[in-house]
Amino acid sequence: MSFDLNFIGILIGAIMASSVPLILAASGELITERSGVLNLGVEGMMIIGAISGFALMIVTGNLFFAVIGSMLSGLIISLIFGLLTQSLLTNHVATGLALTIFGIGMSAMIGKNFVGIPGKEFPLLFVNLKESIPFLGPIFFGHSIILYFAFGLPFLTNYFLKKTKTGLIIRAVGDSPTSASNQGINVTLVRYSCILYGGAMCGLAGAYLSLIYTPQWIENMTGGRGWIALALVVFATWSPIKVLIGALIFGGITILQLHMQAVGLRIPVQLLSALPYIMTIIVLVVISRDSRKIKLNTPTSLGQIFYKEK
Amino acid sequence: MNTKLKVSEISKIYPGCIANDKVSLEFGSGKIYALLGENGAGKSTLVKILSGVVKPDKGEVFLNDESIKLNSPLDAKKNNIGMVFQHFNLFETLSVFENLSIDSDKKDEDLRVLVNDILKKYNFKIDLDVPVLNLSAGQKQKVEIIRCLIRNPKVLIMDEPTSVLTEQETDDLFISLKKFSKDGILIIYITHKLKEVLSLCDEVAVMRKGKVVSVSNTIDEKIESLANKMVGENLNTIKKKINNFKNSEEILKISNLNFKSDDPYETNLNNLNLSLKKGECLGIAGISGNGQNELFQILSGEIITEGTSIMFRNKEIGKLNPRERREYLMAFSPEDRISQAAVPELKIYENVALNNFKSSNFFEKGLVNEKKIKEHSKKILSNFSVNTDNVELKSQFLSGGNLQKLIIGRELITSPELLVCFNPTWGLDVGAINYIHETLIQINEQGKSSVLISTDNDELLKLSDRICVIYKGKLSKIMNADTVTAEKLGILMGGGSID
Repeated sequence: MSFDLNFIGILIGAIMASSVPLILAASGELITERSGVLNLGVEGMMIIGAISGFALMIVTGNLFFAVIGSMLSGLIISLIFGLLTQSLLTNHVATGLALTIFGIGMSAMIGKNFVGIPGKEFPLLFVNLKESIPFLGPIFFGHSIILYFAFGLPFLTNYFLKKTKTGLIIRAVGDSPTSASNQGINVTLVRYSCILYGGAMCGLAGAYLSLIYTPQWIENMTGGRGWIALALVVFATWSPIKVLIGALIFGGITILQLHMQAVGLRIPVQLLSALPYIMTIIVLVVISRDSRKIKLNTPTSLGQIFYKEK
Repeated sequence: MNTKLKVSEISKIYPGCIANDKVSLEFGSGKIYALLGENGAGKSTLVKILSGVVKPDKGEVFLNDESIKLNSPLDAKKNNIGMVFQHFNLFETLSVFENLSIDSDKKDEDLRVLVNDILKKYNFKIDLDVPVLNLSAGQKQKVEIIRCLIRNPKVLIMDEPTSVLTEQETDDLFISLKKFSKDGILIIYITHKLKEVLSLCDEVAVMRKGKVVSVSNTIDEKIESLANKMVGENLNTIKKKINNFKNSEEILKISNLNFKSDDPYETNLNNLNLSLKKGECLGIAGISGNGQNELFQILSGEIITEGTSIMFRNKEIGKLNPRERREYLMAFSPEDRISQAAVPELKIYENVALNNFKSSNFFEKGLVNEKKIKEHSKKILSNFSVNTDNVELKSQFLSGGNLQKLIIGRELITSPELLVCFNPTWGLDVGAINYIHETLIQINEQGKSSVLISTDNDELLKLSDRICVIYKGKLSKIMNADTVTAEKLGILMGGGSID
């Protein structure tokens, strides 16, 4: 195999594309968890986003509507979670699990009529630049607008959490909802907003899969990416930048091990398939060893039900 | 500026408990008011109402003769009522400055200037950019106070502010409070510590069972008179006989014990040496966070130590776990009643079973013998005058005093040779403190020994036969209690040396 710089550029571009859904979903969930809410329904919200995005695209023929619609449907489904956990004070873990199961079933039902229909081509930006510049071209250009958004999102999230008042309030609620409430902060409202934002981002992550990454509807097409996103948030110790690193490593090793399988290395396929999971966890654990930082970043009230004293 | 605050006919009823029963009080600026009462007397409910956290069922609050509505903490803030809660309302993982800026409308730069002015004016020394979890309790309280001062409060309410402070920090706090009062802030000081009322406050209102039972000037009051009003009966003062242990047998010996922790939030212990005789009480004083936690855990077996540095009744016990140590007749009462000593969600009899699960016949073939455990628990409840006979009650519904009695009772009913207790009267009211102290003296009289790790110097001087001080993980020399004064302890606790 000859050393081809352009090929490596294309490979990196592919890795970036494959990590987009993880970055989007994990960034959304990160905000949710920072407010102290543990929503295990990421997988369910993603798959609902995927089918509603695809269905809207087929029905309306408009990609813009499809993308907005997928975010709205993710938001609506997370609203169910919000109602249950914030207003009816149900257990976060059980409700989140139920949401995932519900989402998978619901999407399969809606999706029955959309199986096998080819998708529409999603517009890619700067395609001519991609082809004219070797190596760097395929890395930086020829992607969809959602990819650029996804790669900016962790930095925006980091800035939002650390530098803005709203971000400060979210962190405060995640640290101690009781104290926040005693300070006059509307804890329920803050948590609802974070849940809805997380839902919308998961919906968008799903739409990226069904509209851009593999433009078609396949049942269960998220394939556990929601769970990976959840794990990324925890192993990245609630730091948006580390989520980005983790998502890239996961995407990267997924693509690389596929190539290794194709080349026919004498390593068991099962081991290669497990590699992305193992490596991501190892790397994130190693880069997040600072126990002081973990303590400062972990939302202390994560998963705790909050109710106001009357 | 003159501020007048008046509460009128306030009532608040919780299921099974009248927290406030037609409470009426008047306050004016320029004075410091004490609100005195035992735990559960209704003080905290009243101040929660004043700070908008809890809504009263009936009654009104007047600020400068105008009726004000306090439906939320925001309303209290709008009316310039500031409140420092007993359990801090701080965000531990956020920096001091973030904690302050979160409820301020000011720009960050302006706020920083204002905060620095306050720090300078009242001589507070706090780094604004460290996370709150790195601060001492006293510093955390200052952050709470600064948070109130930013809003130019007319009224400042302090809910049992000294329960987590050292003596030095308490003195500092009193100086600050007097300054605030001079600056025209009306101060309401909630406490169950009588000495503080006399040394700090101008007027005192005593509450009992939800009612105001007396309002008076502190000049006209004495410790005894206030205590009797608060408890509603005459308390007998307790005193310990001074004992001579020259000839008694040594029961516990720690020699050259070192402990190094990997956790940066723990204190390392260096070269500890102590010995304890039968029937003796050894007091260990110190400002919290100087290694008391680690020492307690080493004694209780939560931390296992290598080597032969801990001898108990001539046996090496350093490697034994807490259950094995109990079998050797040691007993433990940890500092944190709720999370270490008892499981709040479990019923009383279940909590009793928890630390006897090996040595007794509570369990047969892996099954729980509820009947035996319940009988045993009933015995503890009556022997140690816990204020309930319902062993099915969840432990979280016991007041601090009753829970502590249950915990100590659970330990003592097996007649151990040594009781190790850590701040056994922390946050308790006079009645309960008296009872616990009497119990601790009693076990010494019966020839049993005790180690009392405490941050309350009065308690140590009252109960100990010998006293030493722990400072930065090192023990001072052990002194006979009759040669020790509060001043001496204070010097040693601050890292100084005497003679």
